[in-house]
Amino acid sequence: MNIVVLVKPALDTSNLRTAANKIMVEDTPLKISDIDRNAAEEAIRIKEKMKGGKTIAVMVSKYPPTPKRGGEAENLAREVLAMGIDEAILVIDDGLIGTDQTATAKAITEVVRKKVGQFDLVIGGEATIDGYSSQVPARIAAELGIPIITYVREISQVGSDSVVVKRDLEDEVQVVKSKLPAVITVTREINTPRIPPLLQIRMAMKKPLSKVSLGDLGLQVERRARTTDLKPLQIQRKKVLIESGTVDEKADKLIQYLSQEGVVTPR
Amino acid sequence: MRVIGVFATPSTLEVMGLAQKLGGDALVFILNGGDEAAERAGRYGAGRVVLVDCGAMCDPAALYDAVAGELSGLTHLVFPATKDGKTIAGYVAGKLGVPNLVDVVDVLAPNKFSKYSMGSRGAEEVEVDGPVALVVQPKRFQPAEKPSKPAVERRRAAPIVELTGREEKAKGSLKIEDAELIVSVGRGFKKQEDLKLAMELAEVLGAQVGCSRPIAADLKWLSEDHWVGLSGHKVRPKMYMAIGISGQPQHIAGMLESRIVVAVNTDKNAPIFQYADYGVVEDLYKFIPVLKEKLRKALGK
Ligand SMILES: Cc1cc2nc3c(=O)[nH]c(=O)nc-3n(C[C@H](O)[C@H](O)[C@H](O)COP(=O)(O)OP(=O)(O)OC[C@H]3O[C@@H](n4cnc5c(N)ncnc54)[C@H](O)[C@@H]3O)c2cc1C
Ligand SMILES: Nc1ncnc2c1ncn2[C@@H]1O[C@H](COP(=O)(O)O)[C@@H](O)[C@H]1O
Repeated sequence: MNIVVLVKPALDTSNLRTAANKIMVEDTPLKISDIDRNAAEEAIRIKEKMKGGKTIAVMVSKYPPTPKRGGEAENLAREVLAMGIDEAILVIDDGLIGTDQTATAKAITEVVRKKVGQFDLVIGGEATIDGYSSQVPARIAAELGIPIITYVREISQVGSDSVVVKRDLEDEVQVVKSKLPAVITVTREINTPRIPPLLQIRMAMKKPLSKVSLGDLGLQVERRARTTDLKPLQIQRKKVLIESGTVDEKADKLIQYLSQEGVVTPR
Repeated sequence: MRVIGVFATPSTLEVMGLAQKLGGDALVFILNGGDEAAERAGRYGAGRVVLVDCGAMCDPAALYDAVAGELSGLTHLVFPATKDGKTIAGYVAGKLGVPNLVDVVDVLAPNKFSKYSMGSRGAEEVEVDGPVALVVQPKRFQPAEKPSKPAVERRRAAPIVELTGREEKAKGSLKIEDAELIVSVGRGFKKQEDLKLAMELAEVLGAQVGCSRPIAADLKWLSEDHWVGLSGHKVRPKMYMAIGISGQPQHIAGMLESRIVVAVNTDKNAPIFQYADYGVVEDLYKFIPVLKEKLRKALGK
C-alpha cells in the first residue's frame, strides 16, 4: 500500500515574531504542523500492518525567504523520515509565496500525479497550526476526484481497496466506509506520534529527499487572494507573578488582587 | 446582480446573515432540511431554496455533483464553520478553483474581508479577485428578518462513501461562551476525580468549568461543551483562571479576550504566565483547596 502524507512546514505560532503591530513572517521559525505528525505516525502504522508499499511525505513551502526556508524545511523533512517515512518530496518555489490554499492543493495534486504515481491513501492533518483552515486536503480530493473523509479519530480497518474509519464530529461519531484511493484527515487524538531514537535520525540522512519547483510540476499558479494586512492579536497583561511565601500567603495575595479587580467582593 | 450561494443545514442557517451583509440575491442549499428550514430561509430573504437530501451523511463529492450546475456565476459562496461545513467548503472551492477564506469576521468590501489567521493568534485582511468561498461561524453575522417567497426545489445527493454506524456524543447544557467567570482545568490534574477540586472552587466563585483539549478530547473527563481553545469554544469572561494548563497557542486562542487571566502552575516558565495578569507558581493540589476555603470564608458562603 502506498501512502502519501501531507506535512506542512508551518509557522511556529508559539514563536510569532512581531514588530510595530505586524507579524514578521520572514523572521518566524518553522515547525512541522503538529497534527501532521499524527498523520505521519498513522501512515507508518498502516504500512507496518500491511507489510509492504511505501510512505511518501509531501511538503509545500509557503513562506519567504525561499533560500532560508529550503534548509529549514529540509530539516523538518528529516524529522518525519526519522519517524519512519520512506521518502520526502518538498515543493519550493518563489511562485508559491503569498498564495492561498488553491496553490498548495494544486502543487500537492501535481506531485501525487507526476512524482508519486500509484497511491492508495492520502493522509493529512485535521488542520494546520498557522492556516487552521481544514481546506487543503478536501481541495486535493476535489482535484483528484476521489472521496474525502475528514476528522478521522480511528482507522478501524484497512483493506487493499477500502477503509473503515471513525469520524469525530461535534455531536456524533460516524463510522464510515470508503473505497480507496481516498483522502483522509486525522485528529490529534488518533495516536501518539513516536519520537525517533538517535540511530533512526542518523539513518534518515540517507533516505531520499527531493526538491521540486513549480516548473518541474508544469504548474502555473494564479494569485486570486492577497493579504493586505497581518497583525498579531495581542492583549497586554499585567504578568504579576506570585511565587514567594507559603501556600496560605499566596492564596491571600491572589484574593487581594481579585478583589482589587472587582472579580470577587469579600464581605 | 450579485448572487450568493449559501450552504447550510437547518441548524446553521444563520450563516445567511453574511449573505445579507454582502447584499444581492441568495441561492440557499439546505442540506438534509425540510419545509420548515426552507420557510426560515425565506424569512431571511432567500431568493431560491434547494433542499438537498444527502442521505445518511453529507458527502462533499456527492453534494457537489448534485448542485454543480447551479454554481457558475455565483460571486460568493458561504459555508458554516462546522466540521462538515469546512469539509464541504474545501471540496466545492477546490472543484471551482476559487480561493477560500476561513473564519471570516468582517466584510470590508465585497472583495475584501478580515479574518482570523495564524491559528487565531493573528488578524488578517485579504483582498480577492473574482468569486470566493467564505467560511464563517454560523452566529457571527446575525440575519435580520426580511421575508421573501423563495421558489423551493428538491435534489438528492446520495453519498459515495457509506455510513455504517453512528454514536451520539454526551452533551451538557453548558454555554461556556456566556460564562462570566471560568475556572479551567488542564493536564496538571492527574486523575478525573481530582477535577472535583476545581469544581468546588468554581462553585464558591459562581464560575463555570472550562478545560483544555486533552481533558475533553483525549481523556474525555469532561464533555466537549467545556473545551476552550482554537478548536473548542472562544470565551471572554470577566475572569479566566487556568489551572494546570501550560498555555499553548491553541489554548490561548480561545481565551485571549478574557478581562482578567489568572494562572496556577508549578512550572515558573510555563508559557501561560505570559498571558496572565496574576500568576501563581504553586502545586494546584496544595493551592486550590486553600484558595477555596479562604474564598468561602471571604465571600461568606
Ligand atoms: C490544530 C490544533 C488545535 C488545538 N486546539 C486546542 C484547543 O482548542 N484547546 C486546547 O486547550 N488545546 C488545543 N490544542 C492542543 C494544544 O496544543 C495543547 O496540547 C494543549 O492545550 C495542552 O493542554 P494542557 O495545557 O492541559 O496540557 P499540558 O501542555 O500537558 O500542560 C499541563 C500543565 O500543567 C502543569 N502542571 C503539572 N502538574 C501540576 C500541578 N500539580 N499543579 C499545577 N500545575 C501543574 C505543567 O507544568 C504544565 O504546564 C490544539 C492543538 C492543535 C495542533
Ligand atoms: N503547505 C503544505 N504542505 C503540505 N501539506 C499541507 C500544507 N498545507 C496544508 N497541508 C495539509 O493539509 C492539512 C490541513 O491544512 P489546512 O487546510 O491549512 O488547515 C494539514 O494538516 C496538512 O496535512
